[in-house]
Amino acid sequence: MNGIMVDNQLKIDLSGHIDSSNAPATETELMAVRESQPHEGLILDLKDLAYISSAGLRIVLRLRKLEPALKLINVSAEVYEILDMTGFTEMIPVEKAYRTLSVEGCEIIGRGANGAVYRIDQDTVVKVYHSADCLPDVQRERELARKAFVLGIPTAIPYDVVRVGESYGSVFELLNSKSFSKLIAAQPEQIDYYVGLYVDLMQKMHTTHVKPGDMPEMKAVALDWAEFLRDYLPAHQAEKLVALVKAVPDRDTMLHGDYHTNNIVMQNDEVLIIDMDTLCVGHPIFELASMYLGFVAFGELDPDVTQSFLKLPYETACLFWRKALARYLGTTDEARVREVEEKAMVIGYARLMRRTIRRNGKNTEEGRACIALCEQRLSQLLVRVDDLSF
Amino acid sequence: MTITKEQNGSSLTVNLQGRLDTTTAPDLDAELKEDLAGIQALTLDLKELEYISSAGLRVLLSAQKVMNKQGSMVVRNVNQTVMEVFEITGFSDILTIA
Repeated sequence: MNGIMVDNQLKIDLSGHIDSSNAPATETELMAVRESQPHEGLILDLKDLAYISSAGLRIVLRLRKLEPALKLINVSAEVYEILDMTGFTEMIPVEKAYRTLSVEGCEIIGRGANGAVYRIDQDTVVKVYHSADCLPDVQRERELARKAFVLGIPTAIPYDVVRVGESYGSVFELLNSKSFSKLIAAQPEQIDYYVGLYVDLMQKMHTTHVKPGDMPEMKAVALDWAEFLRDYLPAHQAEKLVALVKAVPDRDTMLHGDYHTNNIVMQNDEVLIIDMDTLCVGHPIFELASMYLGFVAFGELDPDVTQSFLKLPYETACLFWRKALARYLGTTDEARVREVEEKAMVIGYARLMRRTIRRNGKNTEEGRACIALCEQRLSQLLVRVDDLSF
Repeated sequence: MTITKEQNGSSLTVNLQGRLDTTTAPDLDAELKEDLAGIQALTLDLKELEYISSAGLRVLLSAQKVMNKQGSMVVRNVNQTVMEVFEITGFSDILTIA
């Protein structure tokens, strides 16, 4: 029996069967490991525990008196049932083990940077991540998607998180869909139709209220971007940028955070949103800023970036952005559209500049060109723009 | 999917049979939109519902929203497969399941 330290918590694995025949020995060993290392909390990992008798349960009770923060994790369905029947689940935090799923022989229907998507049956897919370290992110995305789904936002049903080999996966409803990027690329003459659907869904999100604390606040994130740039922008510009972001009114309505045409899909006549890991709440200007980046700014220096990212010609992406913005604002007044676009550009270029610097942009030719563009745009915009809300 | 209805004054019971998915959900949505006027008690009987997709859940959600304003909605005879979906998605907290 070994104990390992995880964030000041001592984690000990218990395995096999624990019953009256080996309970005393198990307890002696457990106490020895417990005393060998100073710790703030104790976690028993029951991943390989198949059975625990009442003699074993009494060890857990005694341990809990010594360790008020005791927690049991990776509990199998069988052991969970025992703990549940005996009332232990009400006394001690108990985390069930994830269901194990094999993807052997399953059809691969997509591959991405973080993992691969397998079809498990007629109605469900599992997104398997390359690394087991992703678990907190997997759970976070699932939780956000679930909250949005219950609020009526059309997205694939997020089912459970499962264990797949040495890594984790997230089970989703299978969508038989095409992205708006693909649909527009195939029928550019239908652009207005797709702009309409795209904006309708965006407005639905932006009028959906979220309970406080359920989703992160975008304004706090944007404020971090602005503060980061204090070291890189002239002081008066940085000061104004921070002040502008601070003055954006707080909102409790939902933003997608990455609302571009790859993430909006159509299944039959249904329009759905995917990739829910960026969901947040805030003023819509933050959504518009990220859209401006996706459709316009990313491809500004090299239009091929847009082509490979959205699979759309740069001109089409820019046209889509302008049409969507006008429709979202409900106006055909060019001056009004430009006014709001400039507000979005302030946050957009601030984000792009920070991101480029953080990705080592100062040391590459492309990075330096991008940073220079952001600096130039921000120096002009920050003179003209006095309010980011609209 | 087969939808059968029994109306008794301002009470309506809708029985769903088969798969409520992306191809059949619009039918149910259209039927409910037509029938819910004046209804104060809606019962959805899911005894013979084999599968429910996100599109189906959204129809239930919008029916629930309508009924919140004009009366009440109860979902009954939920089988294990569908119940699992309700629980996993958090719908079990929103719907009145009898």
